[in-house]
Amino acid sequence: MNGVRSYSWSLIFFWAGLVVVGLVAIYSATQGPVSEFLPSYIQVNFLKQLVAVGLAVLILIGIQFVSPRTFQDVSYLFYIFSLLLMILTLFIGKEVSGSKSWLVLGPVNFQVSELMKVATILAVANYLTSRRNISAENLRSALTAVMLIAVPAALVILQNDMGTALVFLALIPVMLFWSGLPYGISLFIISPAIIGYLSIIDWYWGLIAATLLTLVIFFIQRRGWLTFASFACGILIVIGVQVALFQVLQPHQRARIAAFTNPSFDPQGAGWNVIQAKTAIGSGGLYGKGFMEGTQTQLRFLPEQWTDFVYCVIGEEFGFIGAGLVVFLFMGMIMKLLNIAGSHKHPFAQMFIVGVTTIIFIQFFINVGSATGLLPVIGLPLPFVSYGGSAMLTTTLMLAICLNMDFYKREFSIYR
Amino acid sequence: MRYRQNERSKTSIRVLQFAMIGLTMIILGRLIQLQLIEHEKYGPLSRENSLRQEIVHPARGLIYDRDGNLIVDNEPIYTITVTPASYDEKNTPLLAELMELPVDEVQKRIREARDYSWYRSSRIFTEVDFETFSIIEENIWRLPGIGHQIESKRNYPVEEMQASHIFGYLREVSEKEYEQSGYYHLGDKIGKSGLEMVYEDYLRGDLGAQYIRINALGQSLGSFQNGEFDESPQKGSDLYTTLDTDLQLLAEDLMEGKRGAVVALDPEDGSVLCLVSSPQYDIRRLSGKIDSDYWQSINTDTLKPLFNRAISSRQPPGSTFKPLMALTALDLGVITPETEIYNPGYFYKGRRYHDLADPGHYKVKKAIIESSNTFFFWLMDKIALEEGLNSWHRHIRQFGLGRINNIDLPFETSGILPDSSYLDNVFGKRQWGIGDIINLGVGQGLISVSPLQMAMVAAEIGNNGYRIRPHLVSAIRDPDGTMNLLTPGREKISWVDQNELSIVREGMRGVVTDGSGRFYADLDSIEVAGKTGTAQNPHGQDHGWFISFAPFDNPRIAVAVLVENGGFGSISAAPIASLIIERYLTGEINRSYVYNYVKTFEPRPVEEDSLQQEEVLE
Repeated sequence: MNGVRSYSWSLIFFWAGLVVVGLVAIYSATQGPVSEFLPSYIQVNFLKQLVAVGLAVLILIGIQFVSPRTFQDVSYLFYIFSLLLMILTLFIGKEVSGSKSWLVLGPVNFQVSELMKVATILAVANYLTSRRNISAENLRSALTAVMLIAVPAALVILQNDMGTALVFLALIPVMLFWSGLPYGISLFIISPAIIGYLSIIDWYWGLIAATLLTLVIFFIQRRGWLTFASFACGILIVIGVQVALFQVLQPHQRARIAAFTNPSFDPQGAGWNVIQAKTAIGSGGLYGKGFMEGTQTQLRFLPEQWTDFVYCVIGEEFGFIGAGLVVFLFMGMIMKLLNIAGSHKHPFAQMFIVGVTTIIFIQFFINVGSATGLLPVIGLPLPFVSYGGSAMLTTTLMLAICLNMDFYKREFSIYR
Repeated sequence: MRYRQNERSKTSIRVLQFAMIGLTMIILGRLIQLQLIEHEKYGPLSRENSLRQEIVHPARGLIYDRDGNLIVDNEPIYTITVTPASYDEKNTPLLAELMELPVDEVQKRIREARDYSWYRSSRIFTEVDFETFSIIEENIWRLPGIGHQIESKRNYPVEEMQASHIFGYLREVSEKEYEQSGYYHLGDKIGKSGLEMVYEDYLRGDLGAQYIRINALGQSLGSFQNGEFDESPQKGSDLYTTLDTDLQLLAEDLMEGKRGAVVALDPEDGSVLCLVSSPQYDIRRLSGKIDSDYWQSINTDTLKPLFNRAISSRQPPGSTFKPLMALTALDLGVITPETEIYNPGYFYKGRRYHDLADPGHYKVKKAIIESSNTFFFWLMDKIALEEGLNSWHRHIRQFGLGRINNIDLPFETSGILPDSSYLDNVFGKRQWGIGDIINLGVGQGLISVSPLQMAMVAAEIGNNGYRIRPHLVSAIRDPDGTMNLLTPGREKISWVDQNELSIVREGMRGVVTDGSGRFYADLDSIEVAGKTGTAQNPHGQDHGWFISFAPFDNPRIAVAVLVENGGFGSISAAPIASLIIERYLTGEINRSYVYNYVKTFEPRPVEEDSLQQEEVLE
């Protein structure tokens, strides 16, 4: 048994910091003067979140008594169990704000896709670390790993939850990259996202990105077919985005995309959320307007201000200090997690921790990116901060497993 | 192999750290941009977001008649609004049932509102009657997202009365007016004609402002800082007019179905007792919600119901001009009351000018009574030769012809009273001769006047030569109750000589007792004086005129009536004027046969193109 001193207390500190900031923001967003305009089933969200935090603490502690090998052993079983729950949800699930991703368990609603995230990372980590390293020549195991992620991602899409699906898809390049996919090919896999994003802003940005990425891939890999594929792919994406924007998409769909690049295009319609979110954060200034003093928050200008737009509440009421603190806490947590992964001897634990880091980072980046108008509005909760029991419990579960693996890293290696 | 893998995972950690730190730096940069650099922009934006200035419209000023009876006031109009964000589609059938409208219709309007804005309230049903409005209000708790607005529109309590050319109508301010005034807001109503236009600045009052805090759903959260910054609206000033409601009703009734105008003045001070231009438009249909079909129809109507014939129409006065002509000639010394000429049945000067009066010897008084053209052709000829056209012009102008007389109604015409420079313009310098002006003597040719101007002539002859300013508003009552009297003074027309004037007055009295006015204008109870006229109209049948004042000794009313295409003034215009005088002075109409005659009088149909030339807006 290691001493308490070697425990990664800093991760607990970051976790607690984020949870407290989240509780403060949710309190303000649901119990402040704004509560007058909120239906009672939303006002109770703060209490529900308190209960969830309590349960999360129990999970955080409880997981530490589990043998680290258990996670590897049960990973496939857990994966299949979660997959079955996902399919079940498709049939008997409850629809909440458009997404049919909730399973009703007595008095509690549970979002199965959150649990699926943990199961998927465990299964993929187990699968990839039991195989030889992935190389450009041997992509078979890589394709199997992709399938392990793509199946739950497809189910999430069927549940009509695009944001969560995006998190799953973001796992693919990172997991493959970690298990040894050559750098050039890894870059090639993520290049469509970069080119596509820039193409929406303007087609020539997309073209510049495609050219630069192709050059980088060429210098890393020096393979003719890859370079050619990269460039051809890049060009196709630039053209495809333009065709999609102006030929395929309906005007209102285009408006949503246009709203992200230019929100003042339709301030009352598609751009409303973006403008209100940016106004909330921008008007916060350096010190913010004060706890429960944010006009954007308290006068109900922010949509979903206890979940997807909780960051705006922090930005408005606590200013750059508060918003920056959240960024600092996330950065600290993510850097610490990557350090743990880097210092770990066991490849399964390494890959699991990297997967968890990826999920936390992607959700942080997309949520804050949406709130600040950098990205289109994609409904995703901010890990540990946003209201949502399922997310709080499962994300904490992931972190708890990482802590467990880190704490028992010597034993883990010996058992292997 | 093991070593290589370690190397690889070390590099991979670096790559991941590098990528995540890089992306986080972008987020941090964005925060710095929004919260520190652009804070100046978003700060005010968030304040405007939550604080809304609501304009509080003042009650528009009321209008009273000369007896202090309310004739124009305001009535609330109820509008149902929807805020699509908080509206539940499931309630549409209920809403449709309450509104007693088909579900499709309600659905369509909700969809339109939603297309306009998701979060702001839109009007879906305007001018809902009070009963439906109450039903909706009773059920409002079942209809989240449904709200109401109460605005006001003009109401005209005297049911039968239109007086549309007196009151005028309101329309939304044009963008230009909105930009120029700095007072109006888009959507505000502004007087576009009549008293509503002339007294717009008095009637409208001062806007109030209310600062309220609202949320994104448009819900009001009460006043800002307990209304410390609110300004309450200042009610508009009320107008007290000189209008005689009974007389106006009678005049409208008499002119129904005819084209023309009636103007009745108080000769003492120029108060307008009634003023009708026919055809009128339905003033109630232009109040509140714009009935666009009706608006279209009155704008395209060839009879031009929007055109105020009483003050804007220009017609030759015909023989009604003769009394003023006689007075001018007497003053200029061209004739004396005893000057006598022989009328052979025509006047000859270059050509023959017809005369319907019997041949014989005429003095000026007889010439007025018999309406001898020969006498007045001769008179005009003599004035033009001996005194010049311009001194004739100066005399006549003093009575209000050929000039704007500043009645408090818009679009008043000056008419045309030719002088030498005018004729120079029309014919070319010195290209005109006596032949072009000789028919001015009988009120034909280039001279044109409005019914209002002829009413003034009658009033000024009746009041012994005092120039009056016609007006409708006698007092304005400020919101605080102070009365501001607007009684324009009258001034003696300097050249009028009482003895000469009495000759003319006696002539006008003779017209009614012995001349063309004797059939319909002669009343037993009242001594009426007047003059008929028949204005030649190149486009169709002649227009009938009658001007008069009564009682003869101390006139209390002066009336001018024009009936377009009515033929002889004695049979078309004179009966109308006499009924108005009878009603005003005795309070009743004893001659029902005259009333019935007027009601059944049929003016000839007008030729299509005849209207165009006559009705030129100033």
